Amino acid sequence: MIIRRTLLKTAAAASATSIIGMPAIAQGTKKISFLTWNIIDQKELIEGWIKRFQSTRPGVEVEWLDKKGPEFSPFYQTQLVAGTAPDVINTQGALGLEYAAQGALMDLTPLFAKEAAVKGRYDPNYLGNWVYEGKNYMVPFYITKTLLFYNKPMFAKAGLSGPPKSFDEILAFAEKMTAGDTSSGFMTLNFDWLYWPLLKMNGVELLTADLKKTAFNTPKAIEVFDRLAKATANNSINKIAWTGRWVEPNGAFGAGNIGMLHAHSPAYFFFKGQGSWVTPETLGVTHMPGNWATPNSHGLGISKSTKQPELAWDFLKFITDTGQASELGSRRKLLTGNVAVDKGTLAQLQKDDPMVHTILSTQLEHTDKMTGNWRLGNDSRIKEAFWPEVQSVLLGRKDAKTALADADRRVTRELGRS
Amino acid sequence: MASKGTQASWLGLRHLTLMVIAFLMLVPFYWVIKTAITNENIYAYPPNLLPQNPHLFNFVDVWYLIPFPRYLLNSIIVSAIAVAGNVVFNAMAGYALTRQFAGRNVVLALFLSCMLIPFQATIIPAYLITAKLGLLNTYFGLALPMLSTIICIFVFKAAFEAVPRSLIDAARLDGLSEWRIIMRVLMPLSKPAVATNVILTFIWSWNNFLWPLLITRDPLMQTLPLGLARFLSYMEDTTGALYAFAVMVLAPSILVFLMAQKEFIRGLTSGATKG
Amino acid sequence: MGASKTWWGQQRNRQLALVVCFLLPSLIIFFLYRILPLGWNVMLSFQSWSPLRPAEWIGFEHYVEMWTYDDVFWIALKNTLIFIAASPLAIAAALGIALLVNSDLKGASVYRTIVFLSYPLMTIAVGIIWRWMYDERGGIINYALRASGLTDEPIGFLQDFDWALPSVIFAEVWQILGFYMIILLTGLQSIPQNLYEAARIDGAPAWARFFRITIPMLRPSLFLCVVVGILNSFSSFDLVYIMTNGGPGHATELLITHIYKSGFVQTKFDYAAALTVVQFALLVVLTYVANKGAGGNAGAVERD
Repeated sequence: MIIRRTLLKTAAAASATSIIGMPAIAQGTKKISFLTWNIIDQKELIEGWIKRFQSTRPGVEVEWLDKKGPEFSPFYQTQLVAGTAPDVINTQGALGLEYAAQGALMDLTPLFAKEAAVKGRYDPNYLGNWVYEGKNYMVPFYITKTLLFYNKPMFAKAGLSGPPKSFDEILAFAEKMTAGDTSSGFMTLNFDWLYWPLLKMNGVELLTADLKKTAFNTPKAIEVFDRLAKATANNSINKIAWTGRWVEPNGAFGAGNIGMLHAHSPAYFFFKGQGSWVTPETLGVTHMPGNWATPNSHGLGISKSTKQPELAWDFLKFITDTGQASELGSRRKLLTGNVAVDKGTLAQLQKDDPMVHTILSTQLEHTDKMTGNWRLGNDSRIKEAFWPEVQSVLLGRKDAKTALADADRRVTRELGRS
Repeated sequence: MASKGTQASWLGLRHLTLMVIAFLMLVPFYWVIKTAITNENIYAYPPNLLPQNPHLFNFVDVWYLIPFPRYLLNSIIVSAIAVAGNVVFNAMAGYALTRQFAGRNVVLALFLSCMLIPFQATIIPAYLITAKLGLLNTYFGLALPMLSTIICIFVFKAAFEAVPRSLIDAARLDGLSEWRIIMRVLMPLSKPAVATNVILTFIWSWNNFLWPLLITRDPLMQTLPLGLARFLSYMEDTTGALYAFAVMVLAPSILVFLMAQKEFIRGLTSGATKG
Repeated sequence: MGASKTWWGQQRNRQLALVVCFLLPSLIIFFLYRILPLGWNVMLSFQSWSPLRPAEWIGFEHYVEMWTYDDVFWIALKNTLIFIAASPLAIAAALGIALLVNSDLKGASVYRTIVFLSYPLMTIAVGIIWRWMYDERGGIINYALRASGLTDEPIGFLQDFDWALPSVIFAEVWQILGFYMIILLTGLQSIPQNLYEAARIDGAPAWARFFRITIPMLRPSLFLCVVVGILNSFSSFDLVYIMTNGGPGHATELLITHIYKSGFVQTKFDYAAALTVVQFALLVVLTYVANKGAGGNAGAVERD
């Protein structure tokens, strides 16, 4: 036993030293690192981009790291503290704003000032998602916002001729399509403020325009939440809407017994794979009443601590340039926020996949009616202060008046912190 | 003196109880494997109790999608370092704790408290320390935080304390050094403790997920669970593939357990403990 | 054995030196990866800091906030205590299994392996598997309940405010049972058989042999199991995070999930550090009580 152990230890020590003694990068190579959010399925594509980039810029090396949701933050924050944050990073939703507020991202405004053509590439409304305190911090990588999917056969069976045009109709239609436990009328995603259109269409605001005070503790809001809670109680809104994240709500819609799903465009690809009922004839696509939508886009930014700012900016421009962006758009069937590229993607899809074309077209319509995307540097904290209270109401655990008062208290406290 | 009849029924009862327990413990596994070998929609109701059109594609796919052999090698090396370090260091520490010395209670309290610090709370300082030591992205750095574990120290301590003092005193009278006492007297009588150390340390180092995530930058230095999780990320448990991989990561730990667990059969030669 | 004063003095020093040497490797590891980080947390808990910003000393503000304002902390505390309180039941069950399996019963090693099978699973995997077992549509638990007629409607175990925590605890117990069994088996193996034989000759019945010999001799192993049960309130983090993420509401929020979310989701590392210190203090108290209950010295038993 001793001998085996000694052998093991020697072998281990040998490998350890061989790895420790790995040759350092050759002098003269400039290296940047690129961190993406959960896009490992496009491994080939991104490695292709990196090869292309490296071939046209000799002496340059790009290191690609991909992390998914819950691991992203520990990884990034640790790197931040250690001073080795990846040079170019891709974030989802409001996380980019939080990093900007933290001081982790480089201000892109001066770079845009010098290269107005680059700024002009991007859809201004989506680009505006990452403006914090008047400065640009990120550019779009790929963009999405919420829309309303609906199950046409279920609508027909309930005698409904078309999608709802108001909040009251949403609830009424949902009720018509509900049958005990087996089917529900309405479902929504709830993370990252995706449910906010339901409130905005009733005129409920989260905060005042200056983002300094709460604005949601109103009788109207109480009424809206009450109605939503009642609808959840009788299953016209399936309670997975408030308890699920991604798999459960989309999966439920894919199973074919939910009338309406309020989600952003990637959901289509997910539930299509789950539900054999999904065809261009049976799936309806439209905007929510009032054309309100919450965006949930991916942005690209540069870390302030980068040692190669020009190279990082170069790479960022490269990825969002026509060649690369159009590849991303056509491979993954999404919109990249690069206006010209998206036009081309849509034109192609109109021929190849009309259903996806219809869905993605909605993403570019009514982009002035985007809500649920306040420029908050402490978005997560506000969310954490607000959502659990509201979830309790929707699931019938707490009454709306108390919950909103509690949420008011907690959000105010978070707003008051520096 | 129990009669043959009640002895037999007692035996039968034991078997029955164990079988019920075994069944309950296995149900989740059966369910997982069943899903891993089919591609049905796992959320459909009512669920199928038996697999429909079983196939092994999920298990095969992974071989092509990630550098499986390299990740496997990485995991083996890191776990080997961790297990070796643990058996040696923990035995030493466990032995030291059986001796009376000034400040023993303090050390005991220190060790016990060290256990109570969750890994998540140590992420940032642990990373910075490992960086300072120059061990980022290395096998040794991957294994370092796990080179000694407190639970296993206590396992050794308990095992060593179970050895009758008379034996130890006899050995000392014979002039054996402390090292020899550990190696010749205590360890052979603590085989279950060594086995426990090996099994537990292997499992913990094999399954360790967050630490490799944080300190490996080079994709080729990733360990197997990390590599698999990276692969799973965009599939979000819609098909059996996820469950196939959960089972695959489990296999080596079970193998180690099977190899080591024969130490848990009471040695027929328990004569050494007598008199 | 003749012992001059100097020789004896030497030997005591030699003994101490030896003990220190033997403890050193482990101590170094723990110093680097446990003690220093704990110190970092303690320091941070009295400061206001975020990565890239300089630290400011703010004294006890975080603790005051926790005590007077943070109701999530109190919920998490309650849930954590409930979680820990479930472990004695699990340990008792594991002891029963260990006793049944600890013999040359035919197939004992098979049963041992089956019970242990759940432990080497990554906690992430356990969380994923059980989340699916509890699922209202495709989950086998609901299916079994409905097929056997016990309920008509599916029960959303993980979505229900009252059922969520017990459901999570049940999954955790399923996983840890094998671990307890191993520790207890190791302990059972070290009980000298002659004690039982002597007792049998003296005419002691089975239950007396169990309570007078087995349990006392198992003290160190039982103590270890209790400590692991306490530890599990944070080492099963992945399980809870995957299954419910602390939800619904905060029904399954544990101190560790609150710490993690405060730190890595809300970037309140300083507050998370304060929470860590409080959790640490709580667990130290519980471990101390357990140690006292086991008779001190981690339950060590005096042997001849």
